[in-house]
Amino acid sequence: MTDNWTARLSEYLDETLAPTERQALAAHLTGCAECTATLAELRRVVARAESLEDRPPRADLWPAIAQRIGASAAVVPIETRRRRLSFTVPQLLAAGIALAVISAGGAWLALRSHPVAGGGHLIAETNAGAVRWVSAVDPTYDRTVSELQMALDDGKRTGRLDSTTVRVLEQSLATIDTAIAQAGRALAQDPGNVYLNHHLAETMRRKLNLLRQASGISQRI
Amino acid sequence: MTPGVATLRKDPASAAAESEAADVALAASGDARAFERLYRTHLSRIHSLCRRMMDADQADDLTQDVFVRAWQKLGTFRGEAAFGTWLHRLAVNLILGRRKALAVERGRRDSDPDTLDELVGPAETPGMTMDFEQAIGRLPDGAKQVFLLHDVAGYRHEEIASLLGIVVGTSKSQLHHARMALRKHLD
Repeated sequence: MTDNWTARLSEYLDETLAPTERQALAAHLTGCAECTATLAELRRVVARAESLEDRPPRADLWPAIAQRIGASAAVVPIETRRRRLSFTVPQLLAAGIALAVISAGGAWLALRSHPVAGGGHLIAETNAGAVRWVSAVDPTYDRTVSELQMALDDGKRTGRLDSTTVRVLEQSLATIDTAIAQAGRALAQDPGNVYLNHHLAETMRRKLNLLRQASGISQRI
Repeated sequence: MTPGVATLRKDPASAAAESEAADVALAASGDARAFERLYRTHLSRIHSLCRRMMDADQADDLTQDVFVRAWQKLGTFRGEAAFGTWLHRLAVNLILGRRKALAVERGRRDSDPDTLDELVGPAETPGMTMDFEQAIGRLPDGAKQVFLLHDVAGYRHEEIASLLGIVVGTSKSQLHHARMALRKHLD
């Protein structure tokens, strides 16, 4: 059996009734055992719905998807996706922001380390052939990165950095390296792009700073 | 913690969000590996949505379509919502479009709320009980869509009304009838 209020119980449950209606229904519930019981059941239905577990498909769908999007296991060559380049800049901006936070690994280390002295001079400017220009700004970049990487490896080998730290650092560095590679490929398609120049330079600088801070703390401990 | 050993501390949730943001950006610039990571993160949720809103035997194909469409439209993702939210909305739109096309082909099923009790009534075989998910599957289309979008996926009535092309009052009414019918199938 139902009464006039039964149809409003879901709205009462969801708190979408107007205040006066809600008050009236609340008053009704105090004297109607049937509506009170129905409300409790509806509450259980909602809770049950919220607890439904998501399940993956029985078979992996990725091979078929990869085939449909024209992807192999490797990175899709950017030349085949030139039309998407128009979207690359804002998306790379998002990546830049994400990487800045990812470098919180470095931020944490910075709390324990001395200020980084003399950051690499990698600021780019509008210039054709920008990929070459960025790496030419600081000819010692590769050597510096290599030396810092060795210092970090030494920290890992000697156990001065624990495994969690090493894992986070390696993940951050891998992400940064991927971003550098992507930005390099994008620049190869659009060498005069100011944002991409800055993005690449910033990302390279971030890698340098992360390595400096990580190896610095490793040597002091 | 071992004295003298440095440890990086990151909130796992924020680390995951950062990692996903980077993957979205990489995927948008053509990195299929990054897109595969996004696929693996969101596969269960998207497949379950497809399975519940469509027939189970169409869920695999539909899930593939969702991810292919997501790949094609990644450039339009502006980061105003979480990637998972954007992907879910894209999936819902794709599913509703597919359902509309199927409805034209097959003719609409009766979604009159008065038939709800009959459709999700006691299991046909005596002694057999229908589980909650099966009961959802037997709801009429309109009530099922509203119930899944509101109570399972967390959409608001205003959003559902917009997605389904109905008025808010209808969404509320369908939801209530679906819940009333499903009471009989609580575990």
